[in-house]
Amino acid sequence: MQPALEWQVGEVTRVRTETPRTKTLTLALPKWMAHRPGQHYDVSLTAPDGYRTERSYSAASEPERAGEVDLTVERIDDGEVSPYLDDVLMPGDQLEVRGPIGGYFVWDVSLGGPLLLIGGGSGVVPLMAMLRHRAAQKAPIPARLLYSSRSAQEVIYRTEFERLADGDGELEVVFTFTRHAPPGWTGYQRRIDPAMLDEVMQSLGNGVRSYVCGPTLLVEAVSNALVAMGLPAGRVRTERFGPTGT
Amino acid sequence: MDDEVADMNMALMVDGNAVAGELQQIFGRDMTTAVARCAGCASDAEMGALLAFTRGPGVVLRCPTCRAAIARIVETTTAIYLDARGAAYVRMGSRP
Repeated sequence: MQPALEWQVGEVTRVRTETPRTKTLTLALPKWMAHRPGQHYDVSLTAPDGYRTERSYSAASEPERAGEVDLTVERIDDGEVSPYLDDVLMPGDQLEVRGPIGGYFVWDVSLGGPLLLIGGGSGVVPLMAMLRHRAAQKAPIPARLLYSSRSAQEVIYRTEFERLADGDGELEVVFTFTRHAPPGWTGYQRRIDPAMLDEVMQSLGNGVRSYVCGPTLLVEAVSNALVAMGLPAGRVRTERFGPTGT
Repeated sequence: MDDEVADMNMALMVDGNAVAGELQQIFGRDMTTAVARCAGCASDAEMGALLAFTRGPGVVLRCPTCRAAIARIVETTTAIYLDARGAAYVRMGSRP
């Protein structure tokens, strides 16, 4: 039996700015459990008047890091929760969470590959947990990440992606920019489409496991395209983040 | 429903994975890999892959094939209501 899902109070031990709109909170958890990459935590906030609301945030860190978890939070300007998490929380503050949660959108090295990860905006967060886990396990599983952002400034974990891909012949990270590409950019400058998916997948061979995470409309378009290209629907796992545009 | 409302509903849609915490609270186990058979069209889907509409007073889970409502969850201050009449059955592994 898995243990009951209980709320626990974590302590924020670090806050790191990733992009102008995203921050990563490191939480130390008294009842920490190793997550499966792709799982999320529910975060609960209670206002002074008792109003309580919850949001889900994917674990960004690898489960090999015991005792703590990173949650990367994108600031939604009119959001109820994310402005508090991004603008107010400081190291030493406490946060009520429960997790890890979910068994559907998960990957670990025991599932093998080849691995095709497709992320839009902050949808890259659970995919990063998968890549960090893959790196921590030194698993030579062929992997591609196709990551759609509005602009280079909005790319989360950019330097880490470059570092991960640099020392790893089996990993390739491909960016596409949908609004502003950096000067001199020769890569993709459009929304993800079947031709792009085909190019990125080409070298992966058969039996691809695909994980697609991002704004709902991106996930719909990409998952339909992958199935139309012949990937079995059971190997196209999706996680929709709702309306955030890329 | 006019197109604009339909487009907005579509953009706000998430998936069953987003309510994994609520489902686990109700069932005491992870339900995202449990399979729900739609009572309407008889297709099977893992509950994590159901279409989820969470912006209303409760949660509605819909069949990804025919879009029929499979389950509705409403939480009040004292109780949780689960209306799952849109599922012919839910199948979960015997060892969670």
